Amino acid sequence: MSEDVFTWSLILMMLFTNTLLSIYGIVYRRSLTKKLIALTILSDTANLVFILIGFRFIQPAVPPVLTELSLENLEYLKQHAVDPLPQALVLTGIVISMAVNALIAFGIIQAYRITGSTDAKVVVKHFSEGVKGE
Amino acid sequence: MSKRFAVLVIILALTVASALVLSYTEFAKPAKELKPIGLFYIENSYFGNLTAKSPEAVTAIVWDYRGLDTIYESAVFFLAIVGGLSIFRLEPPQPAGKEAKGLTRISRTGTKIIALLIISVSASIALHGHLTPGGGFQGGSTLAVAPLLLIPVFSVTRLVSAGITSKRLVIARSAAMTCIGLTALLPVLKGLELTSNLSFYPAEIGGELISGSLFFYNIFEYLAVGSGFTAVFLYLSTFEETYRREIEKEVGT
Repeated sequence: MSEDVFTWSLILMMLFTNTLLSIYGIVYRRSLTKKLIALTILSDTANLVFILIGFRFIQPAVPPVLTELSLENLEYLKQHAVDPLPQALVLTGIVISMAVNALIAFGIIQAYRITGSTDAKVVVKHFSEGVKGE
Repeated sequence: MSKRFAVLVIILALTVASALVLSYTEFAKPAKELKPIGLFYIENSYFGNLTAKSPEAVTAIVWDYRGLDTIYESAVFFLAIVGGLSIFRLEPPQPAGKEAKGLTRISRTGTKIIALLIISVSASIALHGHLTPGGGFQGGSTLAVAPLLLIPVFSVTRLVSAGITSKRLVIARSAAMTCIGLTALLPVLKGLELTSNLSFYPAEIGGELISGSLFFYNIFEYLAVGSGFTAVFLYLSTFEETYRREIEKEVGT
Protein backbone atom coordinates (compact mmCIF):
# COMPACT_ATOMS: atom_id res chain seq x y z
CA MET A 1 0.00 0.00 0.00
CA SER A 2 1.48 3.32 -1.03
CA GLU A 3 0.56 6.83 0.01
CA ASP A 4 -0.84 7.55 -3.44
CA VAL A 5 -3.35 4.72 -3.25
CA PHE A 6 -4.42 5.73 0.26
CA THR A 7 -4.92 9.39 -0.73
CA TRP A 8 -6.90 8.31 -3.76
CA SER A 9 -9.11 5.93 -1.73
CA LEU A 10 -9.64 8.58 0.94
CA ILE A 11 -10.83 11.12 -1.67
CA LEU A 12 -13.16 8.54 -3.20
CA MET A 13 -14.67 7.56 0.16
CA MET A 14 -15.03 11.22 1.20
CA LEU A 15 -16.95 11.89 -2.02
CA PHE A 16 -19.11 8.82 -1.36
CA THR A 17 -19.90 10.04 2.18
CA ASN A 18 -20.64 13.49 0.80
CA THR A 19 -23.11 11.97 -1.66
CA LEU A 20 -24.87 10.01 1.10
CA LEU A 21 -25.07 13.06 3.37
CA SER A 22 -26.50 15.25 0.61
CA ILE A 23 -29.09 12.60 -0.32
CA TYR A 24 -30.03 12.44 3.39
CA GLY A 25 -30.40 16.21 3.33
CA ILE A 26 -32.62 16.16 0.25
CA VAL A 27 -34.88 13.40 1.58
CA TYR A 28 -35.16 14.05 5.34
CA ARG A 29 -34.84 17.83 5.78
CA ARG A 30 -38.24 19.52 5.82
CA SER A 31 -37.03 23.01 4.95
CA LEU A 32 -37.03 23.61 1.19
CA THR A 33 -34.00 25.90 1.49
CA LYS A 34 -32.00 23.14 3.19
CA LYS A 35 -33.10 20.72 0.48
CA LEU A 36 -31.74 23.17 -2.12
CA ILE A 37 -28.42 23.48 -0.24
CA ALA A 38 -28.13 19.68 -0.11
CA LEU A 39 -28.89 19.53 -3.84
CA THR A 40 -26.05 21.97 -4.61
CA ILE A 41 -23.69 19.84 -2.49
CA LEU A 42 -24.79 16.74 -4.45
CA SER A 43 -24.21 18.39 -7.82
CA ASP A 44 -20.81 19.74 -6.75
CA THR A 45 -19.80 16.27 -5.55
CA ALA A 46 -20.83 14.77 -8.87
CA ASN A 47 -18.77 17.41 -10.70
CA LEU A 48 -15.78 16.66 -8.49
CA VAL A 49 -16.07 12.96 -9.34
CA PHE A 50 -15.90 13.91 -13.02
CA ILE A 51 -12.82 16.09 -12.48
CA LEU A 52 -11.23 13.25 -10.51
CA ILE A 53 -11.75 10.84 -13.42
CA GLY A 54 -9.70 13.16 -15.63
CA PHE A 55 -7.01 13.87 -13.04
CA ARG A 56 -3.54 12.32 -13.26
CA PHE A 57 -1.76 11.47 -10.04
CA ILE A 58 1.66 12.76 -11.12
CA GLN A 59 3.98 15.64 -10.27
CA PRO A 60 3.50 18.19 -11.78
CA ALA A 61 -0.02 17.86 -13.22
CA VAL A 62 -0.67 20.91 -15.41
CA PRO A 63 -3.86 22.27 -17.04
CA PRO A 64 -4.33 21.34 -20.73
CA VAL A 65 -3.34 24.77 -22.08
CA LEU A 66 -0.46 25.41 -24.48
CA THR A 67 1.46 28.25 -22.84
CA GLU A 68 3.67 28.66 -25.91
CA LEU A 69 2.93 27.47 -29.41
CA SER A 70 5.77 24.98 -29.87
CA LEU A 71 5.97 21.21 -30.43
CA GLU A 72 8.23 20.81 -27.36
CA ASN A 73 5.48 22.30 -25.22
CA LEU A 74 3.00 19.86 -26.80
CA GLU A 75 5.26 16.96 -25.80
CA TYR A 76 5.45 18.33 -22.25
CA LEU A 77 1.64 18.58 -22.16
CA LYS A 78 1.30 14.96 -23.30
CA GLN A 79 3.45 13.93 -20.34
CA HIS A 80 1.92 16.18 -17.68
CA ALA A 81 -1.47 17.60 -18.72
CA VAL A 82 -4.73 16.40 -17.16
CA ASP A 83 -7.61 15.15 -19.33
CA PRO A 84 -9.49 18.13 -20.87
CA LEU A 85 -12.71 16.24 -21.70
CA PRO A 86 -14.13 15.87 -18.13
CA GLN A 87 -13.33 19.55 -17.53
CA ALA A 88 -15.37 20.57 -20.58
CA LEU A 89 -18.28 18.36 -19.47
CA VAL A 90 -18.15 19.74 -15.93
CA LEU A 91 -18.14 23.30 -17.27
CA THR A 92 -21.41 22.48 -19.00
CA GLY A 93 -22.73 20.70 -15.91
CA ILE A 94 -21.91 23.61 -13.59
CA VAL A 95 -23.77 26.10 -15.77
CA ILE A 96 -26.86 23.89 -16.04
CA SER A 97 -26.92 23.15 -12.31
CA MET A 98 -26.53 26.87 -11.58
CA ALA A 99 -29.49 27.69 -13.83
CA VAL A 100 -31.65 24.95 -12.32
CA ASN A 101 -30.71 26.06 -8.80
CA ALA A 102 -31.68 29.63 -9.65
CA LEU A 103 -35.05 28.38 -10.96
CA ILE A 104 -35.64 26.32 -7.79
CA ALA A 105 -34.63 29.27 -5.60
CA PHE A 106 -37.13 31.50 -7.43
CA GLY A 107 -39.82 28.88 -6.83
CA ILE A 108 -38.98 28.59 -3.12
CA ILE A 109 -39.06 32.37 -2.61
CA GLN A 110 -42.41 32.63 -4.37
CA ALA A 111 -43.82 29.72 -2.33
CA TYR A 112 -42.64 31.49 0.83
CA ARG A 113 -44.42 34.69 -0.22
CA ILE A 114 -47.67 32.86 -0.84
CA THR A 115 -47.68 30.38 2.06
CA GLY A 116 -45.46 32.18 4.59
CA SER A 117 -43.32 29.10 5.14
CA THR A 118 -40.52 27.10 3.51
CA ASP A 119 -41.52 23.89 5.28
CA ALA A 120 -42.17 21.31 2.56
CA LYS A 121 -45.25 19.84 4.33
CA VAL A 122 -46.85 23.25 4.96
CA VAL A 123 -46.25 24.35 1.37
CA VAL A 124 -47.67 21.13 -0.11
CA LYS A 125 -50.68 21.26 2.23
CA HIS A 126 -51.39 24.88 1.32
CA PHE A 127 -51.28 24.25 -2.41
CA SER A 128 -53.24 20.97 -2.30
CA GLU A 129 -56.01 22.66 -0.29
CA GLY A 130 -56.14 25.39 -2.89
CA VAL A 131 -56.62 22.75 -5.61
CA LYS A 132 -59.40 20.99 -3.64
CA GLY A 133 -61.19 24.27 -2.93
CA GLU A 134 -61.55 25.04 -6.63
CA MET B 1 -25.81 19.18 20.08
CA SER B 2 -23.24 16.68 21.42
CA LYS B 3 -25.24 13.83 19.87
CA ARG B 4 -24.99 15.48 16.46
CA PHE B 5 -21.23 15.94 16.97
CA ALA B 6 -20.86 12.24 17.90
CA VAL B 7 -22.70 11.19 14.73
CA LEU B 8 -20.38 13.35 12.63
CA VAL B 9 -17.29 11.84 14.31
CA ILE B 10 -18.63 8.32 13.67
CA ILE B 11 -19.25 9.15 9.99
CA LEU B 12 -15.73 10.57 9.64
CA ALA B 13 -14.19 7.52 11.33
CA LEU B 14 -16.18 5.16 9.10
CA THR B 15 -15.04 7.07 6.00
CA VAL B 16 -11.35 6.92 6.96
CA ALA B 17 -11.64 3.24 7.93
CA SER B 18 -13.29 2.31 4.64
CA ALA B 19 -10.62 4.29 2.77
CA LEU B 20 -7.95 2.22 4.60
CA VAL B 21 -9.72 -1.03 3.65
CA LEU B 22 -10.08 0.17 0.06
CA SER B 23 -6.40 1.04 -0.20
CA TYR B 24 -5.33 -2.36 1.27
CA THR B 25 -7.36 -4.20 -1.34
CA GLU B 26 -5.86 -1.84 -3.98
CA PHE B 27 -9.26 -1.74 -5.63
CA ALA B 28 -8.96 1.86 -6.80
CA LYS B 29 -5.62 2.86 -8.24
CA PRO B 30 -4.92 6.49 -9.10
CA ALA B 31 -4.74 7.17 -12.83
CA LYS B 32 -1.28 8.22 -14.06
CA GLU B 33 -1.80 7.88 -17.80
CA LEU B 34 -3.86 10.08 -20.09
CA LYS B 35 -6.87 8.38 -21.66
CA PRO B 36 -6.67 8.05 -25.48
CA ILE B 37 -9.54 10.49 -26.08
CA GLY B 38 -7.93 13.10 -23.83
CA LEU B 39 -4.65 12.64 -25.69
CA PHE B 40 -6.49 13.17 -28.99
CA TYR B 41 -7.89 16.52 -27.83
CA ILE B 42 -4.53 17.73 -26.49
CA GLU B 43 -2.73 16.74 -29.69
CA ASN B 44 -5.32 18.24 -32.01
CA SER B 45 -6.48 21.41 -30.29
CA TYR B 46 -3.74 23.54 -31.89
CA PHE B 47 -1.48 21.25 -33.94
CA GLY B 48 -2.66 18.23 -35.93
CA ASN B 49 -5.12 17.64 -38.74
CA LEU B 50 -8.42 18.11 -36.88
CA THR B 51 -7.30 21.37 -35.30
CA ALA B 52 -9.47 24.07 -33.75
CA LYS B 53 -6.47 26.47 -33.69
CA SER B 54 -6.98 27.06 -29.98
CA PRO B 55 -4.14 26.57 -27.48
CA GLU B 56 -6.81 25.96 -24.83
CA ALA B 57 -8.04 22.38 -25.18
CA VAL B 58 -11.10 22.85 -22.93
CA THR B 59 -12.52 25.77 -24.94
CA ALA B 60 -11.80 23.86 -28.15
CA ILE B 61 -13.92 20.95 -26.86
CA VAL B 62 -16.68 23.17 -25.47
CA TRP B 63 -17.27 25.26 -28.60
CA ASP B 64 -15.79 23.21 -31.44
CA TYR B 65 -15.55 19.44 -30.99
CA ARG B 66 -18.74 19.30 -28.92
CA GLY B 67 -20.14 22.66 -29.96
CA LEU B 68 -23.68 21.46 -30.56
CA ASP B 69 -23.90 20.15 -26.96
CA THR B 70 -22.91 23.55 -25.63
CA ILE B 71 -25.42 25.39 -27.80
CA TYR B 72 -28.27 23.24 -26.47
CA GLU B 73 -26.90 23.70 -22.97
CA SER B 74 -27.04 27.49 -23.46
CA ALA B 75 -30.65 27.00 -24.50
CA VAL B 76 -31.34 25.11 -21.24
CA PHE B 77 -29.71 27.92 -19.29
CA PHE B 78 -31.75 30.52 -21.17
CA LEU B 79 -35.02 28.66 -20.55
CA ALA B 80 -34.25 28.20 -16.84
CA ILE B 81 -33.68 31.93 -16.40
CA VAL B 82 -36.78 32.81 -18.42
CA GLY B 83 -38.75 30.34 -16.28
CA GLY B 84 -37.42 31.93 -13.09
CA LEU B 85 -38.34 35.41 -14.30
CA SER B 86 -41.84 34.29 -15.27
CA ILE B 87 -42.40 32.94 -11.72
CA PHE B 88 -41.53 36.45 -10.45
CA ARG B 89 -43.74 38.14 -13.02
CA LEU B 90 -44.61 41.80 -12.51
CA GLU B 91 -47.23 43.83 -14.34
CA PRO B 92 -45.58 46.41 -16.59
CA PRO B 93 -45.00 49.24 -15.79
CA GLN B 94 -43.28 48.47 -12.51
CA PRO B 95 -44.73 50.63 -9.74
CA ALA B 96 -42.16 53.16 -8.57
CA GLY B 97 -40.92 52.15 -5.14
CA LYS B 98 -39.41 54.34 -2.48
CA GLU B 99 -36.59 56.57 -3.70
CA ALA B 100 -33.44 55.31 -2.01
CA LYS B 101 -30.28 57.34 -1.62
CA GLY B 102 -27.67 54.60 -1.40
CA LEU B 103 -24.57 54.62 0.77
CA THR B 104 -22.07 57.43 1.44
CA ARG B 105 -20.05 59.25 -1.21
CA ILE B 106 -16.85 57.39 -0.24
CA SER B 107 -18.36 53.94 -0.76
CA ARG B 108 -20.07 55.04 -3.96
CA THR B 109 -16.81 56.34 -5.47
CA GLY B 110 -14.93 53.23 -4.35
CA THR B 111 -17.61 50.98 -5.82
CA LYS B 112 -17.48 52.83 -9.14
CA ILE B 113 -13.73 52.10 -9.41
CA ILE B 114 -14.15 48.46 -8.35
CA ALA B 115 -17.08 47.93 -10.74
CA LEU B 116 -14.95 49.26 -13.62
CA LEU B 117 -12.14 46.87 -12.62
CA ILE B 118 -14.58 43.92 -12.46
CA ILE B 119 -15.97 44.71 -15.91
CA SER B 120 -12.50 44.97 -17.48
CA VAL B 121 -11.30 41.74 -15.81
CA SER B 122 -14.45 39.90 -16.95
CA ALA B 123 -13.96 41.17 -20.52
CA SER B 124 -10.38 39.94 -20.46
CA ILE B 125 -11.50 36.51 -19.16
CA ALA B 126 -14.10 36.22 -21.93
CA LEU B 127 -12.08 37.62 -24.84
CA HIS B 128 -9.00 35.51 -24.03
CA GLY B 129 -11.14 32.41 -23.58
CA HIS B 130 -9.52 30.69 -26.56
CA LEU B 131 -5.97 31.41 -25.27
CA THR B 132 -6.08 31.02 -21.48
CA PRO B 133 -8.37 29.24 -19.01
CA GLY B 134 -11.69 31.06 -19.04
CA GLY B 135 -14.38 31.80 -21.59
CA GLY B 136 -17.89 33.08 -22.06
CA PHE B 137 -19.52 31.49 -19.01
CA GLN B 138 -16.78 32.44 -16.59
CA GLY B 139 -16.47 35.98 -17.97
CA GLY B 140 -20.24 36.46 -17.90
CA SER B 141 -20.53 35.26 -14.30
CA THR B 142 -17.74 37.69 -13.35
CA LEU B 143 -19.49 40.51 -15.21
CA ALA B 144 -22.68 39.91 -13.22
CA VAL B 145 -20.78 40.56 -9.97
CA ALA B 146 -20.52 44.28 -10.89
CA PRO B 147 -24.30 44.99 -10.78
CA LEU B 148 -24.56 42.75 -7.71
CA LEU B 149 -22.13 45.16 -6.02
CA LEU B 150 -23.82 48.28 -7.44
CA ILE B 151 -27.32 47.31 -6.23
CA PRO B 152 -26.69 47.60 -2.46
CA VAL B 153 -24.40 50.63 -2.79
CA PHE B 154 -26.44 52.76 -5.22
CA SER B 155 -29.87 51.15 -4.50
CA VAL B 156 -31.93 49.34 -7.09
CA THR B 157 -34.09 52.38 -7.98
CA ARG B 158 -30.98 54.33 -9.07
CA LEU B 159 -29.97 51.43 -11.30
CA VAL B 160 -33.43 51.19 -12.87
CA SER B 161 -33.66 54.95 -13.44
CA ALA B 162 -30.18 54.83 -15.04
CA GLY B 163 -31.65 52.58 -17.73
CA ILE B 164 -30.65 49.12 -16.49
CA THR B 165 -34.14 47.64 -16.50
CA SER B 166 -34.87 43.93 -16.45
CA LYS B 167 -36.80 44.24 -19.72
CA ARG B 168 -33.76 45.61 -21.55
CA LEU B 169 -31.54 42.93 -19.99
CA VAL B 170 -33.85 40.15 -21.17
CA ILE B 171 -33.85 41.70 -24.66
CA ALA B 172 -30.01 41.85 -24.60
CA ARG B 173 -29.91 38.23 -23.47
CA SER B 174 -32.24 37.10 -26.26
CA ALA B 175 -30.23 39.06 -28.84
CA ALA B 176 -26.99 37.45 -27.67
CA MET B 177 -28.60 33.98 -27.81
CA THR B 178 -29.79 34.72 -31.36
CA CYS B 179 -26.23 35.71 -32.31
CA ILE B 180 -24.95 32.37 -30.91
CA GLY B 181 -27.51 30.57 -33.08
CA LEU B 182 -26.52 32.61 -36.14
CA THR B 183 -22.82 31.89 -35.57
CA ALA B 184 -23.70 28.20 -35.59
CA LEU B 185 -26.02 28.51 -38.62
CA LEU B 186 -23.93 30.72 -40.94
CA PRO B 187 -21.70 27.88 -42.29
CA VAL B 188 -24.86 26.01 -43.40
CA LEU B 189 -25.60 28.74 -45.97
CA LYS B 190 -22.27 27.92 -47.65
CA GLY B 191 -23.11 24.21 -47.72
CA LEU B 192 -20.95 23.26 -44.70
CA GLU B 193 -22.03 21.38 -41.58
CA LEU B 194 -23.74 23.05 -38.63
CA THR B 195 -21.26 24.58 -36.11
CA SER B 196 -18.38 24.30 -38.60
CA ASN B 197 -15.39 26.18 -37.31
CA LEU B 198 -12.22 26.69 -39.32
CA SER B 199 -13.67 25.64 -42.69
CA PHE B 200 -15.80 28.81 -42.54
CA TYR B 201 -14.32 31.24 -39.99
CA PRO B 202 -10.74 32.57 -40.27
CA ALA B 203 -8.24 31.40 -37.64
CA GLU B 204 -6.52 34.81 -37.50
CA ILE B 205 -7.61 38.39 -38.08
CA GLY B 206 -4.84 40.92 -38.64
CA GLY B 207 -2.23 38.56 -37.19
CA GLU B 208 -4.21 38.01 -33.98
CA LEU B 209 -5.24 34.45 -33.21
CA ILE B 210 -9.02 34.27 -32.76
CA SER B 211 -9.48 30.48 -33.29
CA GLY B 212 -12.34 30.86 -35.76
CA SER B 213 -15.79 30.79 -34.25
CA LEU B 214 -14.58 30.23 -30.65
CA PHE B 215 -13.97 33.96 -30.24
CA PHE B 216 -17.49 34.90 -31.41
CA TYR B 217 -19.17 32.22 -29.30
CA ASN B 218 -17.24 33.48 -26.26
CA ILE B 219 -18.27 37.11 -26.82
CA PHE B 220 -21.97 36.32 -27.28
CA GLU B 221 -22.05 33.84 -24.40
CA TYR B 222 -20.34 36.49 -22.23
CA LEU B 223 -23.09 39.00 -23.00
CA ALA B 224 -25.86 36.42 -22.63
CA VAL B 225 -24.71 35.08 -19.25
CA GLY B 226 -23.84 38.54 -17.90
CA SER B 227 -27.19 40.11 -18.80
CA GLY B 228 -29.12 37.00 -17.70
CA PHE B 229 -27.61 37.00 -14.23
CA THR B 230 -27.99 40.77 -13.92
CA ALA B 231 -31.72 40.37 -14.68
CA VAL B 232 -31.95 37.68 -11.99
CA PHE B 233 -30.24 39.94 -9.43
CA LEU B 234 -32.52 42.86 -10.34
CA TYR B 235 -35.62 40.71 -9.85
CA LEU B 236 -34.29 39.38 -6.53
CA SER B 237 -33.58 42.88 -5.19
CA THR B 238 -36.86 44.50 -6.19
CA PHE B 239 -38.84 45.65 -3.13
CA GLU B 240 -40.67 42.84 -1.38
CA GLU B 241 -43.85 44.99 -1.12
CA THR B 242 -44.09 45.14 -4.91
CA TYR B 243 -44.30 41.38 -5.12
CA ARG B 244 -46.71 41.16 -2.17
CA ARG B 245 -49.04 43.62 -3.89
CA GLU B 246 -48.83 41.64 -7.11
CA ILE B 247 -49.64 38.35 -5.36
CA GLU B 248 -52.54 39.89 -3.45
CA LYS B 249 -53.94 41.16 -6.74
CA GLU B 250 -53.86 37.66 -8.23
CA VAL B 251 -54.60 35.33 -5.32
CA GLY B 252 -56.51 37.64 -3.00
CA THR B 253 -55.63 38.01 0.66
